[in-house]
This record gives sequence, C-alpha cells and structure tokens, in this order.
Amino acid sequence: MKFRSSKAVTLVAAGAALLMAVPSIGATAATKPVYTIGYEGPLSGGNAQLGINMKWGVELAISQANATGKLPFTLKAAWYDDQGSSTLSPAQAQSAVGNRSLVAMVGPAFSGATRAAEPFYANAGVATVSPSATAAALATGLTNNNFMRVVYGDDVQGLADAKYLVKTKSVSKLLVLDDGSFYGSGLAAVVAASAKTLHATVTTNSYPESSNCGGLASPSQYASAATSIVASGVTGVFYGGYYCDFGLLLGALATAGYTGKIMSGDGSESASLITGTSPATAANGVYLSAASGGTASAFTGKLEVAFKKFSGGTASSAALYAPQAYDATNVIIAAMQKATLTGSLESKRIAIRDALHKISYKGVTGTIAFQSDGNLVGSGAGQISFYQVTNGAIGNPIAHN
Amino acid sequence: MSGLLHFFSSHFSTLGHEFWPLLVGGLATGCIYAMIAIGYTLVYGVLRLINFAHSEIFMSGGFATFFLMRWLVGTSTPNTFETVLYLILGVLVGGLTGAGVATVLERVAYRPLRRRNAPKLAYLISAIGASYFLFNLAAKEFGRINFSMASPYVNHSLFTIFGAQVYMSYIIILLVGAVMLVALDRLVATSKLGRSIRAVAQDAETASLMGVNIDRTIALTFIIGGFLGGVAGYLYGLSFGVVYTMGFTPALKAFTAAVLGGIGNLRGAVIGGLILGVVESMSVAFVNGAFIDVVAFGVLVLVLLFRPTGILGERLGRSA
Repeated sequence: MKFRSSKAVTLVAAGAALLMAVPSIGATAATKPVYTIGYEGPLSGGNAQLGINMKWGVELAISQANATGKLPFTLKAAWYDDQGSSTLSPAQAQSAVGNRSLVAMVGPAFSGATRAAEPFYANAGVATVSPSATAAALATGLTNNNFMRVVYGDDVQGLADAKYLVKTKSVSKLLVLDDGSFYGSGLAAVVAASAKTLHATVTTNSYPESSNCGGLASPSQYASAATSIVASGVTGVFYGGYYCDFGLLLGALATAGYTGKIMSGDGSESASLITGTSPATAANGVYLSAASGGTASAFTGKLEVAFKKFSGGTASSAALYAPQAYDATNVIIAAMQKATLTGSLESKRIAIRDALHKISYKGVTGTIAFQSDGNLVGSGAGQISFYQVTNGAIGNPIAHN
Repeated sequence: MSGLLHFFSSHFSTLGHEFWPLLVGGLATGCIYAMIAIGYTLVYGVLRLINFAHSEIFMSGGFATFFLMRWLVGTSTPNTFETVLYLILGVLVGGLTGAGVATVLERVAYRPLRRRNAPKLAYLISAIGASYFLFNLAAKEFGRINFSMASPYVNHSLFTIFGAQVYMSYIIILLVGAVMLVALDRLVATSKLGRSIRAVAQDAETASLMGVNIDRTIALTFIIGGFLGGVAGYLYGLSFGVVYTMGFTPALKAFTAAVLGGIGNLRGAVIGGLILGVVESMSVAFVNGAFIDVVAFGVLVLVLLFRPTGILGERLGRSA
C-alpha cells in the first residue's frame, strides 16, 4: 500500500511537470498556424506495401519542410488507411475532410479507391494529388477540379506496354488478363486495344481478386487458368492488376509449364511480388512497367540517406511511388506557400487547390504542372519505365517508352 | 440455335486439349476441399453445429508449416530423402497445429455453451467471434501480406496422362489426401472411437447411457477434423502461400462441398469436395474467369433442388 501511494505521488508530480511544460510548447506553436496534409492509401491489407512506400515519401517531405524553419506554418501528417479498397475509401475520405486542420491530400493511392472518394473531397474543396492512381478514366470521368496526379495515366502506360510486348518483344498472340478492379480492367483494356491496333491477335479474360489477396475468389482459379493458357498457345500474357494476385498467377503459370512472355503494370511493380510468388523463381523473366517518372524514379545522395530513416533501410528504388509521394507532398507545400491562406478552412482548401492548378514545380521525378483535367502536362514520352525480374529482384529500369 | 451449337462445339473442342490437365488440377483442389469439408461434416454430425472457425484451423496449419518449411528448407534445394522427410514433418506439424487450435476452440468457444445448454444461435455467434479473433490475431502477429512457402520439392512434371503433364505438387496433394481420407474412413467405420462418434451422431443421449463419454468423443471429433484441416492448410500453402485471410474462401467452398455431398456424411464430403474442385477447374474452359464461382454455386443449387439432403444424404451415423 505504501508502495502504491508513493507511486501515485510520482505520477501526480510527473503529470504536473508535463502540464507546466505544455504552455511553453504551445507558445512556439501559436506563432505559426498548424496545417495537416493527409495521405489516403492502403496501409494494411494484401496490397499494403505500395501504400506504405508512399507514406514514407510523405513523411520525408513533411519532415524536411518543417526542418527548414522557413515555412510560415507548421505541417502535420495524418494517415487514412483505405486498404486500397473502394468500399473503405469513402469513410476515410469523410474522416479526412472532417479533420479541421487538414488542407490538402496526397492520394488516394489506388484508382478504384480514388474514384469512390473523390466526390467527398470535391464537396469539401480538398485538392487530392495522387502519386499513383493511374486509371485513365479518373481524369476524364470526373466533373470536378480537385483531382490531380503526378504520374501519367494508364492510357500512356497501356499504350507503352502494348508497344513493348508486340514491337520490342515480338508477341503476336497476346492474352490480356485483369483482376476486375477499376485500375486493372482499365489498364488491361488500353493494352488490349493498343495491341490490336499493332496487329497482334488479342484475347481477354478476367479473374477476380483471390481470398489470399483481399478478394473472394479461390486462388485455385489460377491453376485452371494457367492450364487453359498453356493449351491456348498464346505467346504473351499481360496482367492488369496488383502484385498479390499476379504472384499467384505466376506460380500457376510456372507449374503449368508456360514459356511465353509475361508482363504486368505498375500495380505489380513491388518487391512483395517476389515474396508472394510461389516458387519465387516463377517471377524471374517477368516484365513490369511503371508510370513512375522514367529515369528519375529513385532518390539519390543525401535524399536517399534521409529516406532510409523513414523506410527502415529500404532503398527508394525498391519502394515504388515513394518519390512520387514525396513530389506530391512537396507540390502541395509549394502551392500552400503561393496561396493566400486566410479566412475559413474551406477557403484555405480552395485557395490551395487553385494554386495547384497554376503551379510548375521541379520535383525529383520531373517538372510537375497539371492540365485542367488533373493529368500531368506533356505526352509522357520517356516517363514509362520497363523492368525485368532477374534472380528474384526487380532492379533498375531496362528501357523507357 | 446455330450460335449455341457453335459455342458448345468450339468450347468442347478446346476442352479436348485441356480436359486431362484440368481434371488432374481439379481433383487436387477438390482433395483440399474434401479435407477441410471433413472438419465441417464431423462437427456437424456430433454437435449439429457449423464450426465457422474451421477456416482459421486451416490457416493455423498453413502458418505453422510456413515457419517450419522456412526453417527446414530455407533457400536450399532438398534431395529426395529430405523431400520425403520434410513432407512428412509438414503433414505432422500442420495436422497437430490444426488439432491443437481445434481443441482450444472446442474448450473455449463451444464446451462452456454446451454445458449451459445454450441455443444453437449462441454457438454460431461464438464460432464467428472465434474466427474473427483468430484471423485478426494472425494478421497482427504475421503481417497482412501473402507469403510464399519454401517448397520441400522441385515442382517438375512426373509423368503424362493422355497428354496432360502431371506435376509433383498435384501428386503430393492427391497422395496425402488419399491416405488421410481412407485412413479416416476406416477409423470411423471400424475403430471403437469411430463407433463412439457414430453413436453420438445418431443419438447423443442414448450413447451416453450406453457408456460413451460424450465430452471425450466430441473433443476427439474436433481433433480429427482439426488435424485434416491443418494438413489441408499445409498443402494449400505449398501452392498458394499463406496469409491471414487464406482460410476464408477455401473454407466456404469446403462447406459448400460438405452440403453438396450431404452434411454430416463423411464420404459425401469427399465426393462433394472432388466434384466442386473438378467443376470449378473445368468451368475455366467454358466461361470467363469471373464466372467460375457462379458455375460452382449453380451446380450446388441444382443438386440441392433435386436432392435437398445432398448427393449421399445426411447422417454421419448411417453412412460410415
């Protein structure tokens, strides 16, 4: 009992000390307003790694911006985990717009989640700058002007992928598969249409996401699919979807003895593709593409050292979209400095959104300026990187569009 | 009409190429479904309860053997002796983990309810709660990404049937599955324990009056079902990897298989599993991949329309 009361005294004393300390912290913070930049993406779930890569990029940008001491405000980050799902995304968007210090968003990361969340952000005037939502229809299908992205859309990526397979890799009989997601089916449709115009024979099929990857289908579907693919005699397979299911498909294709070319887009460009493929050797030789800023898709020098502090040692070249998330955050910070941040929270959000539409910012992935539909200015030439899995690693780009 | 004829002729000619490979693959998948389905059917037989946490028993077998294989195999390529040894160890560890988790489930989630004569709905909620607890625990402890399992064998083609390459992975699943299912069938049909299980399934009260220890019989039923579920988790993990949600769809399919064959009927569960596996596999040749489950569940509805108690009918007591 005696021990307990002495412990209680210690706790009260510690509490009092804390209370005394708080005003001094508050005093410095009070001189500058505190604004929050949110990030929405998958931080859990089967495809979490892509989302976590981006979180590292956002953390790095915000910490560097605060560290300069030159900003007229203090920045905070807030995380909204939508698991990459269009079902969970609206709730996260509502939570974000309800945050009374939040002025702009990095993300959402996945295309389907973006489509579901955009109306909520648009209503609140919150600009969203996505590092990775590449579905072509996002830019054309939205009637608001709050959506922007720092990567080229799947119309650019899909065309480049089709050209790479048909022209460079001489695939004449191509099977285009997708996972039924907004992103996967959108990219697959562009690849299929583009390959047809390049005179390849194209067939299509769709296998929904499996239960090992957050979906409902049985992963055994890939074993039957692979058997069917081998029997069909196609010389190339393109998969529009994410790495988790793509890994299962690769395992099944290897088991079925498929020997043709295999390619997938940026949704599969992750080191987790290798850990999820059984056997891991089944991923060797696979081609991947990413709309990830071409040659400047990774950090270098001091920036890379700083990045590794946030990523727990993971190199930025192995963290797809981390540099894009870094740029997306920085372009928001640049717009915040140009905008006149006065009045209500809503007017500040709108001022930042409008400033983003006028900005031209030189980031690590290239110059960022937005068209009125939110797409990057430029044709995207040289911006799509192609990779090949070799000895269980994705490595550096082997070519560009 | 001519369009319909064209559809069938073109698809059957495609199936001509693919029939045997799809059949072998479908039987392997069906074998895994059958092993999981046994767990549902056994528990339903003795308790009239659908053990919705069975999917997590399956998952526990997958994760235990994932760590075992990582430790044993790592990045090495095992020789034939090691392959056999590691497979046996995998089956044992997967099975025992499944049996262990099933025992804990029975003790914690079901037995207290049985003691208090709780309504069946309470069991259902308890089962769903246990299922959520277990898969969230796995997500927290092991992460949320799909891990591929280190393989104790090199997956090469062993022989050819009618032009279909038969791969090592299929042979292992079919072999282990066949041994397990035949052993279980004999155990239930001929052993004293089997008689107790059948007696409890037929009439628990009378069985108890005849000297059958109900608690022990129910516990052993969970252990047997758990063992098979755990082994299925291992075999499934070897092909598709392990992740905290891995049990959800295979268990749903296995439950479907158990109903298809006749819930509570051991041989029915096996037949239901194999039919479901083959139907799913074959449907790839006919329909878009997105409709595989539509076909599988369509078959279930059709069978139940004509045989409401499943292909072999209900009743564990009678069948074995």
